[in-house]
Amino acid sequence: MSEPAASPKSAAPQQESTRTGPGRLLVAVYGLFALSASARAGVQIATKFSHAPVAYVLSAFAGLVYILATVTLGNGSPTARRIAVVSCSVEFAGVLAVGTWSLVDPATFPDATVWSGYGSGYGFVPLVLPVFGLLWLRYWSKRSRAQRTTASSAGDTDEAPVDQRTP
Amino acid sequence: MSSVNGAVPTTIIVAGLALAGYALLMTALNRRMGLGLLVALGVLEILLLVLVGMVVARLVGGGHPAGLATLIGYLVATPLVPLVAGVWGAMERSRWGPAVIAVAGLVAAVLMVRLHEIWPVIHV
Repeated sequence: MSEPAASPKSAAPQQESTRTGPGRLLVAVYGLFALSASARAGVQIATKFSHAPVAYVLSAFAGLVYILATVTLGNGSPTARRIAVVSCSVEFAGVLAVGTWSLVDPATFPDATVWSGYGSGYGFVPLVLPVFGLLWLRYWSKRSRAQRTTASSAGDTDEAPVDQRTP
Repeated sequence: MSSVNGAVPTTIIVAGLALAGYALLMTALNRRMGLGLLVALGVLEILLLVLVGMVVARLVGGGHPAGLATLIGYLVATPLVPLVAGVWGAMERSRWGPAVIAVAGLVAAVLMVRLHEIWPVIHV
């Protein structure tokens, strides 16, 4: 069975935002990590907190950052995009810091966090995810700036001159 | 101790990876979501429900995994993966819809490995 071609003409009109196009994939993966990181941290903190308190608190923090990124990327308003930039940046800094910390001082991490070893336990997805998130958000901030400029100069917002296809 | 038949988890891994490959091909060919992917996703969903049923039967029959809370969490979340991915992917009218389905296929395969780690009687 072959799938229909993704031609813009046959497709239903779709309001583009940070959750459409590649953002659809990004939000899905962020949602996956939001769920798995926070659920895992919740179980660990509830059942064996004293075993690896630093690792579990960091896991919970990572879970919150992923939830925030999922919600803001899924929302896509200018304010949400600004919050998303902050959470993706915190996430990137976190995976680099915790990754380095877990290699330098393994004794603090008897149990792994999402960000241990730069996310090696999760196929390094935690390391590349914030990079794609920030690139996607940068694309959107450029795009909305271009739209604002055109709108104020030409007064025509119906047809955005920017490329409708995503990078 | 009897174990959960390994044929079903192994089938799920193969099916999940095959679905991911098929979906990524659709993304590469710039196709959007269609019936083929939804049917494949439905097959994966049925397989996952069968597995969950088998694990629940094993629990009811007196199995005692070390991480029972984690296992129950996985049993609840696992059948939701194709459903959520199907809805989220079908909302996308571009090549990125199938890309979401590819993630679901990969996640299903990884979940089988994780289930085995949580409770080794679930063979892979």
